[in-house]
Amino acid sequence: MKILVCVKQVPDSGETLSIDASSGWIDYGRSTVFRMNRYDEFALEEALLIRESLPGTVVHALSVGLDRVGSTIRRALEMGADHGIHIRDGRESYVSPFSVASLIASCARTRGYDLILAGVMAEDDMACQVGQLVAALLDLPCATSVIREDFRPGGSEILVEREIEGGCRQEILLKTPAVLTIQPGINAPRYPSLSHVLRARSQPQEIIESRDLGIPEQQEIAGRLRAPDLTSQGIFLEGSSREKARALVGILHEKALLLQR
Amino acid sequence: MEKDTYIIAEYIKGSIPGETLEMVTFAGELSPKKRPTIVLLGRDIAGPAQGLAEKTGCDIIAVMGENLELYNADTYRRALLDILLPLAPTWVCLPHTAMGYDLAPGLSVGLKAACITGVEAIQGRTFTRSAYAGKFLVDISPTSTSAVLTVLPGSFRPCRDFRGPVGRVTTVERSGSSPRSWTLEIKESPHRDSALKDAEVIVSAGRGIGKKENVDLLKRLATLFPRSAVGASRSVCDLGWLDYRHQIGTTGQTVSPKLYIACGISGAIQHVSGMKGSQTIVAINTDPSASIFRVAHYCVVEDLATFIPLLIEESGDLPPAGHRPPQPGWP
Ligand SMILES: Cc1cc2nc3c(=O)[nH]c(=O)nc-3n(C[C@H](O)[C@H](O)[C@H](O)COP(=O)(O)OP(=O)(O)OC[C@H]3O[C@@H](n4cnc5c(N)ncnc54)[C@H](O)[C@@H]3O)c2cc1C
Ligand SMILES: Nc1ncnc2c1ncn2[C@@H]1O[C@H](COP(=O)(O)O)[C@@H](O)[C@H]1O
Repeated sequence: MKILVCVKQVPDSGETLSIDASSGWIDYGRSTVFRMNRYDEFALEEALLIRESLPGTVVHALSVGLDRVGSTIRRALEMGADHGIHIRDGRESYVSPFSVASLIASCARTRGYDLILAGVMAEDDMACQVGQLVAALLDLPCATSVIREDFRPGGSEILVEREIEGGCRQEILLKTPAVLTIQPGINAPRYPSLSHVLRARSQPQEIIESRDLGIPEQQEIAGRLRAPDLTSQGIFLEGSSREKARALVGILHEKALLLQR
Repeated sequence: MEKDTYIIAEYIKGSIPGETLEMVTFAGELSPKKRPTIVLLGRDIAGPAQGLAEKTGCDIIAVMGENLELYNADTYRRALLDILLPLAPTWVCLPHTAMGYDLAPGLSVGLKAACITGVEAIQGRTFTRSAYAGKFLVDISPTSTSAVLTVLPGSFRPCRDFRGPVGRVTTVERSGSSPRSWTLEIKESPHRDSALKDAEVIVSAGRGIGKKENVDLLKRLATLFPRSAVGASRSVCDLGWLDYRHQIGTTGQTVSPKLYIACGISGAIQHVSGMKGSQTIVAINTDPSASIFRVAHYCVVEDLATFIPLLIEESGDLPPAGHRPPQPGWP
């Protein structure tokens, strides 16, 4: 079994991100910490679990982006991926999910993956598109929001459950090769082991220049990022921490919500 | 002349969900002069198709077939492409739901159209969507002639009952199915909880609680209220800090208690859609620009680890001893 996992690098959301006035895009100052998209940690873990249950499986991790995404590919190697692929693409502003998917698809096309895994969504652009686009471009079947998967004996079919609304799950049988986008909660992503960390340090990453893959032009343009108006109808409590606590208790009492003791 | 906006309707458990009616309003803003056409797929949908034509005044294309009873990405996409390609639509709109985001990207490739997901607002040909967990908005405009759009549930009002002439229903029979993907069944998710449904007060934990141990702090807060329960964001369940039975949101439970206290929850749409019906919403978050403050009635910019103990103290009553978390070092 040959598995490709798409991992995206995103800024750590704990960071207070701001908009760069001249570019209109995120100001990734020197202090920005980047990490792997959390959804993709689950996708990678799932690939590693499949490898554990099906000996002979190899797991490739791929990321599209600037030089800095190399550290996220290294993280994938540290978690246990066998091989890292970096499609170098030099834009810091808006990148269309379609261009990313086109790059991934043209790289994957000739490599004979049985399974391509992605996260259900990237935390930064929240598009929920790239996995499905890769599937469409490669003409493969696809299931999104996968919360469980089982290979049928022989490995040519895979049974998946996808999470849908209303507390339900949809059970789908897919022929491989297939693309799955993985829903968090499917597993518990591992921390890198020391031996993998040491190995990943010296493990070379395969680098592919995006211009060599010949991508079609993106079909949309993005304006400047802006902050939503925080026109909450809500009241921001003022004062010291204790004053706020007191005010809130007063409000809850008034609404008769607190237990009367 | 053919209409140029198409809505792909959902049909779940025998009814058309509100999200589909929101699409009619959205399509009205998209092209005010032409009513959209609604495409409805399913097995026995003659009745619902007629109902939709009456309610919305839109023309309906009802695509019927054995294999369309349960949604399947591959089968639905093939059926839709066969219908839509000859019509060369400018806009194809879907709700941003488990069906919509599953289907939209593949449709856009088939139609050679742009794909813009999670649309919240519209101005001309420019679509506004959220990024970075709702911290920022970005406006996207397609450069192609056509686009597939998914619209975030709750962003537009469901359309009102249409008073003009009833739309025309065209029925298309369709027998084909995907040769490589089969939907076998829809089943209930394992972890469901009724305690949340009956609670009058829900104290809900987000990733901002920082560590599993702080769940106890929230449990203590909950004891101040009658008929209370502890809820959680998806992230907290994924981290294993609380069981999935506590999860609130699109893939968890929808709740509408008298009081909802969101502790360290950023306010992602998938969470908010499950709790926005609460009567009073209090949010405690260190980030003054967290989007949870857009739905909260009372906004507290504080570190929950220090604020919640103060709140408990100020409520004038220490929780009963049995609810205190075990102290380290005790036998
Ligand atoms: C298909 C799909 C389905 C989903 N379904 C659901 C669902 O049903 N329910 C759901 O909840 N999510 C769901 N999600 C996930 C959702 O998109 C968000 O990722 C999730 O809700 C975020 O959880 P959070 O707010 O706890 O964490 P985060 O977004 O990480 O937010 C943590 C917040 O805590 C604040 N904070 C940090 N430290 C402190 C402190 N000391 N004191 C106070 N505040 C602090 C931060 O400012 C931040 O706002 C779904 C996602 C997808 C793609
Ligand atoms: N630049 C990228 N490099 C590698 N994988 C990506 C990239 N962008 C998106 N993906 C994958 O596609 C998934 C969905 O992303 P999106 O469609 O942007 O929400 C992510 O969880 C990743 O698995």
